[in-house]
Formats: sequence, structure tokens, C-alpha cells
Amino acid sequence: MKVLELKNVNKIYNSSEVKVHAVNDVTLDFVEAEFAAIVGPSGSGKTTLLNLIGGLDMPTSGEIIIGGTNLSKLKPSQLIDFRLNNIGFVFQSYNLIPVLTAKENVEFIMTLQKWPEKERDERTLELLRAVGLGDRINSRPTKLSGGQQQRVAVARALASKPKFILADEPTANLDSKAATTLLEIMEKLNHESKITFIFSTHDPRVVKMAHRVITLEDGIVISDDIRELPA
Amino acid sequence: MIWSISWKNVWRNKKRSLVVIVAVTLGIISGVLLVGIMEGWVKQRLNDAIYNEVSHIQIHNKEYIKNEEIDLTVRNLDEITRSIDSLNELSGWVKRTKIIAMANTPWANTGVTIYGVDAEKEKLVTEIYKEIVPNGGKYLENQSPGDILISDKTAELLKLKQYIVTESMIKGLRSQKVPETVLTKLEILKETRFRSPKDFREALRIEYSKKELDRYGLLIIDKALDYRIRNKVQITISDKEGTPIQGIFRVCGIYKTTNTGFDQATVFLNAGELANLYGGNDILTHEIAVLLNNIDDVDNVKEKLSRISVNNSVMTWKELAPDAAMMNDFMIMYYFIFIGIIMLALAFGIINTMLMAILERTKELGMLMAIGMNRKRIFKMIMLETIFLTIVGAVVGMVLGWAITEVLGKTGIHFTGWGEGFEAIGFAARVYPVITADFFVFITIMVIATAIISSIWPARKALKLNPVEALRTE
Repeated sequence: MKVLELKNVNKIYNSSEVKVHAVNDVTLDFVEAEFAAIVGPSGSGKTTLLNLIGGLDMPTSGEIIIGGTNLSKLKPSQLIDFRLNNIGFVFQSYNLIPVLTAKENVEFIMTLQKWPEKERDERTLELLRAVGLGDRINSRPTKLSGGQQQRVAVARALASKPKFILADEPTANLDSKAATTLLEIMEKLNHESKITFIFSTHDPRVVKMAHRVITLEDGIVISDDIRELPA
Repeated sequence: MIWSISWKNVWRNKKRSLVVIVAVTLGIISGVLLVGIMEGWVKQRLNDAIYNEVSHIQIHNKEYIKNEEIDLTVRNLDEITRSIDSLNELSGWVKRTKIIAMANTPWANTGVTIYGVDAEKEKLVTEIYKEIVPNGGKYLENQSPGDILISDKTAELLKLKQYIVTESMIKGLRSQKVPETVLTKLEILKETRFRSPKDFREALRIEYSKKELDRYGLLIIDKALDYRIRNKVQITISDKEGTPIQGIFRVCGIYKTTNTGFDQATVFLNAGELANLYGGNDILTHEIAVLLNNIDDVDNVKEKLSRISVNNSVMTWKELAPDAAMMNDFMIMYYFIFIGIIMLALAFGIINTMLMAILERTKELGMLMAIGMNRKRIFKMIMLETIFLTIVGAVVGMVLGWAITEVLGKTGIHFTGWGEGFEAIGFAARVYPVITADFFVFITIMVIATAIISSIWPARKALKLNPVEALRTE
């Protein structure tokens, strides 16, 4: 089942002197439970593409359709609610709320979605256990290592039951061991929850584990290598 | 959870938040004290105006209001006397003779208004009998012929008030542990009469250092004060034909209210003796003063009295003491002005702090917007954070302000240097600050309003952030 469609998506930045074609006529489909990596050199348009897919930025032309909804047709306020209920985000620098504990960070997104307290608590504990942090639920981000913080961020991204998760260079700030642990957890969750994961990355470990690798160069998709179909 | 995040955000940068909290605390304490002092003064002025000067309601002949002539007495007096007792709202009422006169002593003279009163009944409506100064004799008595009650100010004008250093006074100071070095210097001034506190102070200033004066000056002046009780005062009035008539009275007591203007002009005699002086067959009634059980009944009682006092003028305290009435009515405006100025100053500090907080958290706000926190919730989070920051300081300020006001409300604040000036316009030199529950409700509303208004700018700044750009910031 298609969760995401990109049809002839272009993003052009017009500054006073130069015109930058950051994303050039990209057409892609993503189905449920994919574990896909978007790779390419710096400046190839990976992050811009991820921002467009996440509804954080609007394409200059083309259509982005998520679960049948065309993002261009949504008003800014509708777009925020749409992101809340359909897209999970994992950022390179974790971006947890520092004043909240691991548990509160995860349940925060469900609070925004107005989940009942009991269900919220159950799901939070379930997710934190799934990312291997069942014993650190009351720790604040400053008391967690980078790898642990990123695992909390993954749990948070999954909490809202999104259609897919966008992860922008999730292992870039992690050491090798932490990165491997994180990737294994993400792959396991992808397998169990059937939620699509889309990464932008430079990391060969991520590329190695990805079921599909999309290569970008100067905003153009130069290859789309599907190694393994989702189960 | 937004409430919890906002509260926790306040304490992210403790030092910066504490600076604002302390500023709000100090601002609120000053506001509470300032308003407490104002309220204390207004209450004192209102109380003194009603219980010493004008009562709640007064009845006069309409013409007497324009020309205070001896024959312009209250009309239909018998009818008023018969009806007035049936009014339940009254706490007491008295009839007075009121005549303008000249008071003389061998050393000075001054113009006064004589109140011819029934000394005992007068206690029902005025509290002058409670205002007799220490060593100032006693209140007027019905059974003491030839007595006159004058004020401290009139005594000063008639040179019946003096400052004199005596052996017994030095003895008194010694018993109060005043050092011998200070007492020795007083020997030089012994037995010299000073007719005003100013002259005495000047003499003390020559003998004593500033430190000694600050410490013992007031005590020495207080102990040296001596009134010439039982001294004769000649009173001159005009009869109905305008012929001057003189009478001699002896000072039985000295009173002092907080209103020098009233004190200076007002002396009290027994009404019967005043009648003997002007040679009338009856005691003339120029004024009826009425005191009520409840000040709120004043308009209602005025209406009733107006019906039974045809051709007379019935006036309430608001008309008789417009200064006190105006201050009372405008108190809420003073609240607005004082607290408004304080809050305006604090608002800039709060805005600055919140703008810094937003700047520091740009990336986090970008993340919140990205994951789906809508504008309304972001606005609410920043607004709550501002309210918490302000409220913490305000609550501490209100508690401390209330505690300080409670203490000062018992001890009073003495404005030593400005006492004479204050008393000239009817305010006591010692003020007892008062704070009402209403004021705390008012200040709470003002604080919340300030916090909400102060949060608008930082919140708008946060809402203008672009999530993509915000997430890129370091």
C-alpha cells in the first residue's frame, strides 16, 4: 500500500544572484514498511527532499501525496495537524525537550493528539522498552548518552502512530556502537510495526542495512535501488 | 502537559528568571506599601473628617451657608427635634451654636469659630474628647463654668504653648536613660521660654550635634512642652446688632487633631455660657450634626432629613469635606496609576527576558513546530511561561508587602520632617498603612494582565519562526 507519492517535485531557491535547483523533477513512491535510505554527497538535496516530504517546506512545483492527501492543498494550520498525526521525525541532533524526562518526551506528542492518559502511559512504556530504555524512563536528556537520546527520539517519532518516519542523518552524531544499536532497533521496529522509515544519510552502515537506497545528485534521483521488498 | 513544560521552562535559566522574579517582587512590595500608605492616609483623613470635623450629615439654615450670621439659625427646629429621634439609622445627633469670634491673650490674638456645645452630648458625634494632648488638661465639662477648650495650634497662636527646660523635665529625661552629657547641655537653656517648637529646635541645634539631635531631639522637645492650662482667654463676638461683646474664659484643655486648619479655627464652649455672652434668651442652634451607624446610609438619611428640614440645607460629609470625599472616590484611580507605572516598568524586563528565552530556544521551537505543535499551543506555552515567571514574583511580593504593611500598620510610619506640612492639609504625620483584600484582587488582575501583554511580543516572535530555518540554528 502506498503511503507516500512524489510526482515531479521541484524545489527552486531564487536568491538575488543565483537560482538553485535543490530538488529536480523527483518522482518516487514509498509503500508501507519500507526501510529506505536517501544518499548522496553534501548539497545533493537530501535534506531539502526530506523537508518537502515532511511538509516543512513546500515544493515549487509538483505534488506530494501522503495517504491520499495532497500537501499543497492544506492550509498552514492544517499542515501542522497533518504532520502531528501522519509523520514522525527523528533529527540529527536528537532535539528532545530538555526539561522533560524520557517518558514525558515520548508521551508529549500523544498529549498533543489528546490520547487518554492510561493508553498514553501504556504506549510510552511499551515504546521505551522497545528501544531498550525501560529502566531510564525518568531520566532527563542531559542524563542520557547521545545514543540513548536518539533512541528516545525514535520512540517519540513512533508514539503518534505515523504513516512514516523521516530521519535526517540519525547516526551522524553517534559513535559506531551507538549507531549500530540504534539501527538495529529501528530495523526491528520497522519490521514489527510496519511503519515506513525514510533516512537521509552519509553513513555506510545505514546504507548497508537499508532495503532501498535512493541516490541523489544535484537534486536529481540518479538511482533507486530496491534490494529487498518489505515483508 | 503544556502547563508543566511552561513551569519547567521558567527554571531553565535560574539566574535570569530570578532576576526578573526579584524585580517583580520588589515592584509589588513598593506598590503594596505605596498604596498602603495612601490608603492609610485616606482612611485617616476620612475618619478624622467625619469623627472630628463634619460628622456624616449637617443641617444649617440655607442662608447661614452663605453668611455665617448670628441670627441665621436652623429653621423649624422643634419639628426637626421631634422627628429626628425616630430615624433608626442615627448613631447620635447634636445641636450647636456657631459664632465667629476673636480670641485674645495678653500676648497674642487670633480669629476663631466658637462651637457652643453640650459637652456630654457632643461625645455622641465627635471624638474631640479623645484628642486631648498629654499634659493638656481635660475635655470640656458641663459643670465647669467659664471653661474653654482650645487646640494645640490655637494655643501656639495665642502663645499659650511654650517650651521650657525645668529641673523636673531634666529629671524625667534622666529616668529615660538620656546620657548626662546631653542633659548637661540642657542646663544652658534652663528656664528660658520658647513660644514655638521652631524656636526651641533652633536653640537645641546650637547646643547639640546632629547625631545627638537625631537621637534625643524629639524626646527633649516632647518633654519641654508646656501648656498654660487655666490661663485666661478673652473672647470677643458681635451680637445681633453688631455690637462687640467680650467674655473671659479659662483654658480647661488642649486638643489636637490631624487637621491643623480645623484646629486653628475651632474652640469649644458650653452652649449655655455662650448664650449668656450674646445675651439671648435661648440657646441658638446654627448647626445640627448627625452621626450614622453606617456611612452607606448617608444619602438615604439625607433624603429623609431634607423632608423634615424644609428651608434648611442638609449636607452630607461628601459636600462638607470634599477633599476627603474626592480622595476616597479616586482611590481606585490611584491604584491604577501607581501599580500601572510599576507594571509598565516591569513589563519591559519581562519582555526582555522572554525574548532572550525565545532566542535561546529557537531550535527547540522549530522542532516543536515540526512535530506538530500548533501555533495556538506554542502561544499558550510562552504565555503561561511569562505568567508563571511574573506570578512567582508577584506572590512573593504580595506576601512580603502584606507582612510589612501589617507591621507598619501597627507601628505606623512617622514622617518627622514633613509632619507640620502634612497636618496643615489634614493628614497625620504618623500614617498607619492599610491594605484591603480588594487591593490584592486588583493587583492580581493587573499582574496577570501585565504578564499576558508582555507575552504577546515574544510569543509572536516565536510564531514567526520558520521550522526549517529554526531547526538549522545551533
